[in-house]
Amino acid sequence: MEIKREESNGIVIFRVAGDIDLNTSPELKKFFDQVIKENKKKILIDLKDVSYVDSSGLATLVEILKNLRVYGGRLKLTSLSAKVRGLFEITRLDKLFDISAGEEDALSSFNEA
Amino acid sequence: MVMKTTIANDSRLLKEISGKIIDILKGKGVEEGIIFDIHVGLEEALRNAMMHGNKWDPDKKVTVETEIAGAAAIICVEDEGNGFDPKILPDPTLDENLLKESGRGVYLIRHLMDEVRYENGGRRIIMTKYLDKKHF
Repeated sequence: MEIKREESNGIVIFRVAGDIDLNTSPELKKFFDQVIKENKKKILIDLKDVSYVDSSGLATLVEILKNLRVYGGRLKLTSLSAKVRGLFEITRLDKLFDISAGEEDALSSFNEA
Repeated sequence: MVMKTTIANDSRLLKEISGKIIDILKGKGVEEGIIFDIHVGLEEALRNAMMHGNKWDPDKKVTVETEIAGAAAIICVEDEGNGFDPKILPDPTLDENLLKESGRGVYLIRHLMDEVRYENGGRRIIMTKYLDKKHF
């Protein structure tokens, strides 16, 4: 898994590539622990290049969401493949997470709210 | 074609055995979406066996038996733990469970594989996935 961090107009964007699973989830969490330390409030995760997520990966994303919510941080997910999005739908996590089809929609919705 | 392997509780071995099975399916030209479902189902079952079944005990092993016969892949994963009752697992999709960080593995297996059954007191899971769309 590779994670690239960018920041644009106060929004931290993580571009994740590869698998989010039992082996890689701890690394993803480390990146977010740092963001939480920095008290960042608008976070976008681009999952375009993520081809595989398991229940550990879903659990880590839930944990990150909960940790951000504690101080009013917001998390959006964008550009999920059909199969990865399917996992969110099966587990009803699509009701918990704010999921946008594309990055532009996600970025503009941060500014609207 | 039948493949049987016994492995230690090691997440690298989990990936290795999963990778081998996925490569065989790719080699047979199985559709990507079906491979994705098997990939997730298989790794969830292996992880459950190592983590919840064997509790990462180095003296306990996980046995994986895969049969790819015509239109179906049948994968059996068995641990050496105390077993469990899959019927008593909470539903992770209930509103009160959505924010919980665990409990989605078995649920995913049930939804991604076409047939799932447990034997040997929950120590053995047998998952079937049809490889041919005619079965859907």
